[in-house]
Amino acid sequence: MASVLAQLILNGILLGGLYSLISIGLTLIFGVIRVVNFAHGEFLMLAMYITFWLNSLQGVDPYFSLLLVVPLLFLAGLMAHRLVIQPILGAPSYMQIFATVGLSLVMQNMALFFWKADFRSVESFCSTTSIRLLALICGAPKVIAFSASVLITFALHLFLKETYLGKAIRAVVQDREAAQLMGIDIYRIYLVTFGLGTACVGVAGALMMPIYTVFPTVGVYFVLTAFVVVVLGGLGSLPGAFLGGLIIGVVESLAGFFISPQLKEAIYFVIFLAVLVVRPSGLFGQIGAEELG
Amino acid sequence: MKQNARLISLILIAGLWLAVCSAHAAHAAEPIRIGALFPYTGNLAKLGNESFNGADIAREWINRHGGILGRQIEWVKGDAVDAKAAVGEAERLITVGKVKVIFGTYSSSLSNAASEVAERHQVIYWEQGAIADNVTARGFQYIFRVCPRASSFGVMAVEFTAQELAPKLGFKARELKVAIVNEDTLYGSSVGAAAEQKAKELGLNVVALEPYSAKAVDLSSLIMKLQAKKPDVVIATSYMNDAILFWRQARELNFNCKALVGTGAGHGMMDFPEAFGKYADGVFNVDFPVIKDPKVLNPKLRPSLTEFREAFRAKHGRDAAVHATAGFVGAMVLFQDVIPKAGSLIPDDIRKAALSLNIPVGGTWQGWGVKFAPPGHPAAGQNLQSFPMVMQWQGGQLYIVSPQKFKEKEMTLLPLPSWDKR
Repeated sequence: MASVLAQLILNGILLGGLYSLISIGLTLIFGVIRVVNFAHGEFLMLAMYITFWLNSLQGVDPYFSLLLVVPLLFLAGLMAHRLVIQPILGAPSYMQIFATVGLSLVMQNMALFFWKADFRSVESFCSTTSIRLLALICGAPKVIAFSASVLITFALHLFLKETYLGKAIRAVVQDREAAQLMGIDIYRIYLVTFGLGTACVGVAGALMMPIYTVFPTVGVYFVLTAFVVVVLGGLGSLPGAFLGGLIIGVVESLAGFFISPQLKEAIYFVIFLAVLVVRPSGLFGQIGAEELG
Repeated sequence: MKQNARLISLILIAGLWLAVCSAHAAHAAEPIRIGALFPYTGNLAKLGNESFNGADIAREWINRHGGILGRQIEWVKGDAVDAKAAVGEAERLITVGKVKVIFGTYSSSLSNAASEVAERHQVIYWEQGAIADNVTARGFQYIFRVCPRASSFGVMAVEFTAQELAPKLGFKARELKVAIVNEDTLYGSSVGAAAEQKAKELGLNVVALEPYSAKAVDLSSLIMKLQAKKPDVVIATSYMNDAILFWRQARELNFNCKALVGTGAGHGMMDFPEAFGKYADGVFNVDFPVIKDPKVLNPKLRPSLTEFREAFRAKHGRDAAVHATAGFVGAMVLFQDVIPKAGSLIPDDIRKAALSLNIPVGGTWQGWGVKFAPPGHPAAGQNLQSFPMVMQWQGGQLYIVSPQKFKEKEMTLLPLPSWDKR
């Protein structure tokens, strides 16, 4: 029984690591720009497709394709922000939602048009490698993704804490108007943050390719959970996104075994609602940062 | 004077134009418009498009050979992304597109929703691929389903397990431990429920009954639950993404069973062996058959099975799999047997013609016969002569292993070797 519980928790932590990886980018974007980016899942899908095509056409291992996927996604994020988000920054929030939902639909259907609806997979050198620790077992790609999640959280945390740009970003999260009064160009901050957010999801996409298959609507499967993680952890908080992801992953894994695979999402949504009632700014969010606008 | 001349010439030109138009209309025979309601986009796009592609080959062949009733067939497409869209599109096809027949729709939930609209408007709903039982259990007069029902998938999976797998594995049927897992929408629930009932009837030891969401990104808790119960045979009903996820995580968590019996959709697509290579071999799939040898079919079939497969390969660059063939068969029965017999596009005539069909087994490209249950029958509109077959993945291809009459190859890899021995 103990080994089953330990395995379940391990599964949950590894799954949570994946959720965290996807949510880190989103918490930056949501926390800084305050736009609900419904197209976040589609950037994940884009990263996965780029990884797939690099592997399929040039034989590049998914882990090496990181070198190309991350800059490409950064550029894609810059473009998307400039063309879609920036023009509607001052608009009411429901207009912003329409814009990002529209972007999401366009990306999904363009992927469907160019790459068809087939389910694509890649095999990496370690896809079938299992790591065994005593009685526990886990797949190598998941462990790599988890480690990357830890590294990125740490690296971004340092970036936000130590560098000038990082501090400017944190200032904008705290109080938009005050930041502007201090002379920070918030539009430049938004642009860089969006690019950074999509670059993070680019890492997620490349690392998830050995674990999942990609098809045009794969983003939809992850984006809702990503939003839950982000709000649970606190908008704009990196440790929040990381720990929120882990919590969701472990809850899902345990609920799926002890209650029912059908209800596992319902359980973490209940916990999510409970946290929001008690602490609306999320577990690690700054109080007041949860107000929109 | 100039004004009058201009006016008269305008009238003359208008009259000439009208005359030309009507002459032109009189020569071009109006095409027959058939609604094609499928999920062309969205989560189910892959198999929605596959089903449509098969049906389109049928349309092209019929059009090349004179069309029906001297007219060419034309599709009026409707995109049924989800159930809500299916209803809206069905309304549009009927009220704006003015079609009298809607052909579709692959997914049970979509078909269920859209066929209600068709029944209300007394428009024929010709289902070629959705299998949930209740699609033809509502007593509707205008729905016809060519393919078999989910219950027959569940029943066949269990019968195959009890009558063929058990002896081969050296067990008595009652000693075999069986787990039934299914995705939790109409499709999965129908098959799962039927399998559960048949298993109880045959006295099999069902150790796990687990529905799960096809949208899950992680099935490790499901796998762990199964590991705790140690089933010999797993009967799974999954769409594509969850079929791949399940098998992949089974490998990752070292979950070993003696046999995996899929029941259509996810386990029948080429994406399955493409994702797993040799790890896909040995998996069974209960599904509409893909017959490769025309010898088991009626030799008078036109086009021949080979012609259809070649036409599909030429157009799409790969072989027609299950859903494309089902689309083709559904369309051909409608275009070749039903509408010509009806002699018109009036839904009541088409109904009568469909109900009068009696094609023996082997008379369609999937080996089925055609005999629709009459009104008053609990499954009115269901083709009672259609049935799934059991196939097995061998070398990246599906081969029929049961029933005996259509068998293409013997079963292999029974029991499945454990993951670390592959």
